[in-house]
Amino acid sequence: MHASYMETLREAMSMVSGYIYPNELELQWSVLIVLYPYITGLVAGAFILASLERVFNVTAVKPTYRLSLLMALAFLLIAPLPLQVHLGQPQRAFEIFMTPNTSSAMAMFGFVYVWYLMAVLLVEIWLDYRREIVAWSKSEPFWPKRLFYKLLTFGVDNVSPRSLAIDDKVGRALTVIGLPSAVLLHGYVGFIFGSIKANPWWSTPLMPVIFLFSAMASGIAGVLLVYMFLCWARDEHIEMPCIDTVAKFFLTALIVAFTLEMLETLQTAYEAEEHFDIISLLVEGKLYFSMIFVQMFMGSLIPMFLLGLCQLFELPEKVRKVFYSASAILSLIGILAMRWNVVVGGQFFSKSLRGFTTYKMELAGREGLVSALVLGFMPLVVLALLLYLLPPWGESAHRRKEPA
Amino acid sequence: MKDIRHLLHVAAAFVVVIIGFLIARHLVVPKSFGRIGHYRADAVDEIKALPLRYAGEQACAPCHRAQAKAKASSRHKGIRCESCHGALQAHAEAPSSLKPAKPKEGEMRAFCARCHEKNLSRPAKFPQVDPREHNPGVACSQCHPPHQPK
Repeated sequence: MHASYMETLREAMSMVSGYIYPNELELQWSVLIVLYPYITGLVAGAFILASLERVFNVTAVKPTYRLSLLMALAFLLIAPLPLQVHLGQPQRAFEIFMTPNTSSAMAMFGFVYVWYLMAVLLVEIWLDYRREIVAWSKSEPFWPKRLFYKLLTFGVDNVSPRSLAIDDKVGRALTVIGLPSAVLLHGYVGFIFGSIKANPWWSTPLMPVIFLFSAMASGIAGVLLVYMFLCWARDEHIEMPCIDTVAKFFLTALIVAFTLEMLETLQTAYEAEEHFDIISLLVEGKLYFSMIFVQMFMGSLIPMFLLGLCQLFELPEKVRKVFYSASAILSLIGILAMRWNVVVGGQFFSKSLRGFTTYKMELAGREGLVSALVLGFMPLVVLALLLYLLPPWGESAHRRKEPA
Repeated sequence: MKDIRHLLHVAAAFVVVIIGFLIARHLVVPKSFGRIGHYRADAVDEIKALPLRYAGEQACAPCHRAQAKAKASSRHKGIRCESCHGALQAHAEAPSSLKPAKPKEGEMRAFCARCHEKNLSRPAKFPQVDPREHNPGVACSQCHPPHQPK
């Protein structure tokens, strides 16, 4: 054994406090596993927002409909990457399809993912864009793009009113199926954590529900922010009735997510089982900043306060825009902190309930900060590409800002 | 019919993808997969056919009697010879073909520390030292003969 290994071990041992088991020294689920539920959450949230217009006829949110779908797709395409980079064995992504293991929740997740991507999201986007795709396949001057649209027409350029009406019906039916699929997609992520019975920080049947509502909040915040940014970048009017309605749903999701988290915390505190002492030490110590300050105060209470003000008082448009974007940014940070607190926080304390280990993030390693930042921003690059290929701004969705 | 043709084309594309997947699965998944569990059953025979690398303690004692005798009554009696000297089936078959390795003097302190480094999770009566304070620079075997440590 190399002497430097012992030195590393000694250094790591000096960061451990109390009593931990030898195999708990190293945190197995790194920052990339924090990123993974965060990205899938954004997918589910964005899709649920899209379904408001399609299934529940909330027409005010129409300007964000296509953007929500494209955001869901961009984030969904990147969602498995953190897992694959973490594993370092990308071929396993195919092996779970080739030799499915029905008793593994993680393996079956692959099927939920493919179902949602292939049968729901791609088809729904295609149906919604078909009319434009057919038009672009004829009018696009840049030939590779024209070829791309041509392929997407699947050889049919019939856009008769009847065929479009059929598309609309099928699309609506798909969204009705897609809604539980989106819920399943993110509920599944919570389920994987919630079903780890050896870890009292994770093992609660509320976990899928908490993940789901925070996912809705983050997805809605993401769409709200990107929509406002795109309007600003394209010098277009922000549809205030649209963002007012989106903000209402955002506030609802935030309130439900926060209340569920608080209920869960209250229940744990009141039951005060044998693991409670270590959990309270964890929350008061290692997770104080990321949980109490970032997740709860900054990521939940301040956005709820700001969004609540917009509901209670008739604030001017400018103030509402600032409050909405500030709430969206804060809650996106807060929900990322929540994923961190669940994933990394849950690995801090020992199964002995008598000690803590530590986590020192690498900078440039495979699971380091740079890798996490690249993977975190990659969905936005994919989104930019999708916006280029499938511009969501139809002729009626937006109107240009009139010169003052 | 004309108005749903595009949907039929997409459905056909899905069917092609699914058939392609089933063909790929047929070609890629090993024939013996799943016969006796969620793994390739042939792997058991392939692993069985691999050459042995470890000879086992009983192969050492007939030649290395003194060391075997010393170790049998020592606190290291539970540790197999090949734990420190490496896999030695080749040596057992043809003793002159491979000279057994032993931890080098420079590496010995790190090697012994694998078990004897002070660690809270070890039983309190288990001999443990902090190698940084315990006679630094001196090879452990100078004071603690590994076949009969004291």
